[in-house]
This record gives sequence, C-alpha cells and structure tokens, in this order.
Amino acid sequence: MNLFNQSTRANISAAKMFIFFSQLMDKPVLDKAGKTVGEIYDLVVKSSQVYPLSDALIIRQGFPNRKYALINWPDIEKIDKEGAQLKIDSSGLNFNQIHDEKKEFTLRRDILDQQVVDTHNHKVIRVNDIQLLVVDHALMIAHVDIGSRGLLRRLGFEKIIDLTVKLFNPQARYLKNEHLISWKHIQPLTINPVSMTIKVDLPQKNLASIPAADLGDIFLDLNINHQIALFKSLNLMNKTKIFTNIDFKTQSSLLEEMTDPEIAELLNNLPSDEATDFLEKLPREKTKYVLNLIENKYSKRLSQLLGYSGDSAGGLMTTEYIAFAKDTTVGAALNQIRERKFKSEPVQFIYIVDETQHLISATNFRRLILAKPEEPIQNSVFPKTYFVRLDSSVKEVAYLMEKYKYFAIPVVDANNVLQGIITVDDILSQLIAFAWRRLKRIKIMQKT
Amino acid sequence: MKNLKTFWAKILIFLSVMGPGIITANVDNDAGGITTYSVAGAHFGYALIWSFIPIIIALVIIQEMCSRMAVVTGKGLADLIREEFGVRVTFYAMTVLVFSNIFNTISEFAGIAASAELFGISKYLLVPICALFVWWLIVKGTYKSVEKVFLFACLFYVSYIISGFLSKPDWNLIAKSTIHPSFQFDKAYIFMLIGVVGTTIAPWMQFYQQSSVVEKGIKLENYKYSRLDVIIGAFVVNIIAIFIIIVCANTLFANGIRVENAKDAALALKPLAGQYCFYLFAFGLLNASVFSACILPLSTAYSVCEGMGWEIGVNRTFKEAPQFYSLYTAIIAIGAAIILIPGVKLVPIMLISQATNGILLPFVLIFMLLLVNNKRLMGKYTNSGFYNFCAILIIAAMILLSLFLFFTVFIK
Repeated sequence: MNLFNQSTRANISAAKMFIFFSQLMDKPVLDKAGKTVGEIYDLVVKSSQVYPLSDALIIRQGFPNRKYALINWPDIEKIDKEGAQLKIDSSGLNFNQIHDEKKEFTLRRDILDQQVVDTHNHKVIRVNDIQLLVVDHALMIAHVDIGSRGLLRRLGFEKIIDLTVKLFNPQARYLKNEHLISWKHIQPLTINPVSMTIKVDLPQKNLASIPAADLGDIFLDLNINHQIALFKSLNLMNKTKIFTNIDFKTQSSLLEEMTDPEIAELLNNLPSDEATDFLEKLPREKTKYVLNLIENKYSKRLSQLLGYSGDSAGGLMTTEYIAFAKDTTVGAALNQIRERKFKSEPVQFIYIVDETQHLISATNFRRLILAKPEEPIQNSVFPKTYFVRLDSSVKEVAYLMEKYKYFAIPVVDANNVLQGIITVDDILSQLIAFAWRRLKRIKIMQKT
Repeated sequence: MKNLKTFWAKILIFLSVMGPGIITANVDNDAGGITTYSVAGAHFGYALIWSFIPIIIALVIIQEMCSRMAVVTGKGLADLIREEFGVRVTFYAMTVLVFSNIFNTISEFAGIAASAELFGISKYLLVPICALFVWWLIVKGTYKSVEKVFLFACLFYVSYIISGFLSKPDWNLIAKSTIHPSFQFDKAYIFMLIGVVGTTIAPWMQFYQQSSVVEKGIKLENYKYSRLDVIIGAFVVNIIAIFIIIVCANTLFANGIRVENAKDAALALKPLAGQYCFYLFAFGLLNASVFSACILPLSTAYSVCEGMGWEIGVNRTFKEAPQFYSLYTAIIAIGAAIILIPGVKLVPIMLISQATNGILLPFVLIFMLLLVNNKRLMGKYTNSGFYNFCAILIIAAMILLSLFLFFTVFIK
C-alpha cells in the first residue's frame, strides 16, 4: 500500500487510475440494452480493510418522486467519468422510495461534505471530495480532498478557474496544489443509529500515536454528539488519554453519558492527581457517588487526597510512585519496572522504603542502569534525600525542586511515611497560573 | 425549603443557558428596524401595534426550531445545510448571505453615522472608532466575554422604554388598538405592514442563533431553558419595537409630522418631547447600530466557514483561521468605508439589503423545515404535527411577504 503518499501529487501515469467521486455523481447509468435507468447516486463500501473497496452502487431515478435501487458490484460492467454500464437488464432492478439507511457505509451520506478526523495533522476537517483508485473493476477509497480545488470541482468551476490561472501564470502553484489526505489517516465520524457509537476503523494504535494534548484538542473540536459517540467507541487507554486532556465541562458531560461500570473503569485507571483534579470540581454529592463506584482501596486514597488543600504538597501529589525495599538488587528492581508492576507514569525517580513505608532514600533511573545488576539498590542512592511534607506550600516545593534540579520530589507525612510524589509538570502548571496572575496585576498597576 | 432551593437552582441554570435567544432577538432592533418602526409610528400612529402579536409568535416558532436543532444535533445551520444538501446549495446560499449581510452592515454603520450627527460628532471620527472597536472586540475576545458584552448592550434598549414613558402615551388607546386590529386597505399601510414584519425576521438570525447555541454547548436536558431564552428574547424585542412606535405616534403622528428615517424622527422629537427624550432616542440608535455591526460580520464569517469547512476563529489566531478573519475584517471595512464616502445615497443600500434578505429567507426557512423534520438528525425531537402546521403557515406567509418585498423593490 505504498502507492499513496501523505499528500500526493499524482503523476501522469497514476492520474489515469484515479477518479474523483464527484466525477461519478449524477452520471447516467445504462442497462444491458443500453437504456438509461437512472443516475449514480451513492457508493456503498466495505470498510473492513485499511482502504475500503466498493461493494455496491446506489442509483437514483425520477423527479420529484425519487426512487433508489441498489446494484451489487459484480453486476456492473464498467464505471468511469462517462457513467456506469450494467451487466443486467432494467427488469432486474428493484426501485424503492428510500434506500436502506442503516447498515451500509456509503460515501455520499457518511463521508462527502461531512466532518472527519485527520489523525495525521491532528485536525477535524470537512471533506470536499473523495479520490478513488481503480483496481481491477473495483474502486478503492484512496484519499479525501479537503482543498479549494476540490471545492471548485464540486461547484463545477474547476476548469474555468484552471484555464484562467493558466492564462496568467502557467507555473502557478495553485495548479498542482492538491490537498489530499490518505484514507489511512482518516477517521470517519458516522454515528451508528442503533449502538450510538462510532466505528473506529483505524487501528486504535493510530489514535494512540497522537500526543495526548493534541488528541484532547481534536476532541474539543467535535460537537457534543460526536464526542460522546467517539468516546464510547475507544479503548480504555485512549479514553484515559482524552479524559485527562479536556476541560472540566466536557469531562462532566461525558460522565453523565457513561454507565456506572464505565465510570468505575475509567476512574480506576486515571492517575490519582488527575482523578482528584476532576473530582474536586464536581458537586459534593456527585463526588461521593463516583467514589462509591470505584475500587475500595483507591477510593480511600482519593478521598484522602481530596482532603488536602489544592495548593499544598498533599493536594498536588500523585500517589503512584516506584518504591523498593532496601535489600532489593538493582537487577530485580529493573525487572519489576520492565514488567510494569507499577502504575506510575514517570519511572525516572525511584524511592527506597522500609517495611512500614518510611522513606529512606532516593535514586534515579540513570544511577540504576549504570549500577551492576547484582548490587543492592541501597548502594546507588543519592547521598542525601530531600522531601517535602503534606502541608508544604507550592512555593517551598518549587524552591526545593529548582535548587536541587529535581524532576520529582517525594512527599511524606509527619511520621516520615512516603505518601506520594510531585512531578515537575504539576508544579509548572501551578507556577504558570501564578505568574500569569502576577503579570496581569503588574500590567494593571502600570496603567494606573 | 427544598422547593425554594430547586427554584434558585432553576434560575441559575437559566442564567447559564440564557444568551443566544435574547441577543439574536435584540440585534433585530438594529438601525434598519428602528427606522422602520419610527416611520411606522409617525405615519400610522398606533394602527400597526396589533401586528406585533403575530410577529412574536412567528419569531418564537422560527427561532425555537433553530435552538432545538442546535441542541439536538450539536451543529450549526450552515453545517447541517452542507451535510444534508451538499456543497453547491451551501455555496450559493452563503454567497447571498455574505452579500446581504454586507449591505446590512452598511446600514448599521449608517445608523452610527446618523447618531454621530445627532450628538454633534463628526461621522468621520465616530464611524472609524466604532469599526475598530467592533473588530477588536471579536479578535481579542473569547466567546464568553463577547457574549457578556452583548448581553450588557441589550440592557441599553431600555432607553427606548424610558423615552416611551417620557412621551406620556395614551395607554387606553394603545390597549384598544392592540386588541382590535384595524386593517386599512391602503397601499402605504400595507407596505408599512410588510416592512415591519420583514425587518423582524431576517436570514442571518437563524444562522447566528443556531451557531451560538452550539458554541454554548447547551445540553438536551436544559433545552427547556434555552426555549425560554428564545421566548423572552422575542417578547423583549417586540416590546421595545412597540415603544419606539409609541414614542413616534405620540409626538410625530399626533402633530402630523412625517419623517423618512430614525435621524429625522429623533430631531423632530426634540421640540415635542424634550431634550431627554431626544438624547435617549439617539443613544438607543447608536447602541443598536454598534451592537448589530458587531454581530452581523461575526455571524457571516461564522456561517460561511462552517459551511465551507474552514477553521472558525474567535479562539484561534489569524494564521490558524485565515478565511474567518479575512471575511470578518473585510465586511467591517467595507461597511464602514462606504458610509464614509461623501454624498453616498442610503436609500438604494437599504433597498438592496431588503431585497437580498428577501431572496435568501424563503430558502433558509424551507431548509430549516426539512432539517428539523429529518428523523435521522432529530430523532424524537422533530416537529409535532400541530407545530409543523403552524410553522408551515408562518413560513408560507413569510415567503409571500419576502417575494412581495423583493418585487416591489424592482417595481419601484
């Protein structure tokens, strides 16, 4: 499938193999005897492959009482810019008032003029035209056209504009400037009317390869119905990724659409700092309700976290961290990390605790991989361990992290028991908000 | 106690949902609207007030359908037209919309120029200032902050109600002429009636309202509050229109003074109703014109980008949404520049704006009716049989009026 580039400049030999859907639409359909039986209306495709293949043709006849008929692909002799020629007689056609709207995936209804997600450029786009590839009698969706040429072609102005541009500047960039996007990057947004979900054609890893923040932005560009349907259709990993990168308003409207088990599953997999961020903003009764749904152990921890003030170390920390006993060997520790025994996202910082979780020392990933596997972990720790208390302020935390150039700092309670860690991104978002307020205040002061 | 709590909770939800309906309706009382109502009051006294009852009903029914489509589908009207009727229809509809809204915007800037003269300020100063302000508001604002400014601007329409009271109207007579419609089979009267109805329902309103409800992200369960927003909007806008008619009827009509536009009306008010009434009237005109000059270019750029699939601005930069900002800036620039041409004639501009509105409105209303009754889009929220009957009746009447208005422009 290397035939398609991401933004193709179709060369001359390939141009013959490609045809735009708009060049087929409304073209005459002739039966075996050469009699016109209708015009091309829509194309049904099988979406089982990466590049869907044509499966059937929907033709239309009559005005104003429109009637539609479905023609299976094997019954078509040939189809091109001139129209379609059938192998069967007009008596073999079964015209109906409406064509079946539910089951199939069709170009005119589901793709053309609709919004789709471009997972390559991370944007929601509107489809102006669809480029099809002719492969042994069948048609395959190759690209969608989102450029101005596609728009002009649909309006029927392409030739006139092309001629005019050529007249003034034969080398104009416009003439070659096709804005095509390969189908493998396109995620359609057709909502199935029965299950109310969106069929995610792309392998979900494709979505997963989009940076989380961008995925959140794409998501916020969709309308509410598409948001809900797409969210329901995603796997847990993508759900978590999106949920942590959208605003509270969208989060809570998604929450309302989810069933209790779905809420529980999602919340159980959310990092504790993200979960508390969200729960904090919910009305108190709703928070209680949601906490009741999730795993007992985790909900206890979350409600404890919710008790800390938002700008103290306790409120900022996440309770997922990596900790080992003093006598663990470096090799065993690395193995455990490799086997994903820990829920923690960042693996750079590693802590050593005793049997009752008292913080003893800290090390980092770099020190571990440089150490010999059979050595006990305690031999490669930092000479001194810095930490903050649950009630330390943001400023103290930031000061310590800056001073010792830490990416994460442990948080302990009054008895030195390790409670969680604060990572630099959590501090950064606090500091940016703080700096922003200061900046505005300074500006106002300068004005008065 | 619990009832009281739920009552306040309901008020809170309403306040959060409120906006699109009230703003859209109020923009309707723009420079053109105020001119029409002033002339109607000055020439026919209270005789046209009854027509506001059917106008309110028509406005509520049409705008409610937009609001409902927005909440159920989560898409703007231009989006839906593109998705259901294809690119060609959308393109031509948007072309006419741009054209008609440019002329509407020109007439808003004409309103600003007129109020500048009333306050004794040079229009060469006030028009560019207002144009810059309008441009800056959207380019630098967010949807939320802009909506707040708009809602605040709605408050200033009260100036017409105050000036109405200052003119000491005869309430008995007003009540009587509202309840007993007096129809006159007189050419001028019929023209005026069509003008009053025509100025109240314009095509940009449906696009603007639907987009702003979508932008607000109103949920289906709160839809009843959104409907209330539409109803309140329709009542408020027409009550203000009635007060404009009352002011002019009481002073100008009673003294047999004929006026051609809102500026004449304000000037004629000065000796009859006093300084305050004059200033309130003039201030109302300025406020309405600036407010509408904000919304018309915004709504146009929004609808066109929605329909054509271009990035929509407000929260984006110029580089991310070039078409949106170019269109928005161009409409404001053209609107303001044409008014600054010395000796420009306003009557043809007003007529062209009416005619293009008249061409577009039938199409928009028919599209709306088809969309709102599409089961695939609306599910169980399509129109009920009776509602459809009313809607078809109103739409048929609106189409006849628009066609009539359109042809009279050319016959004249």
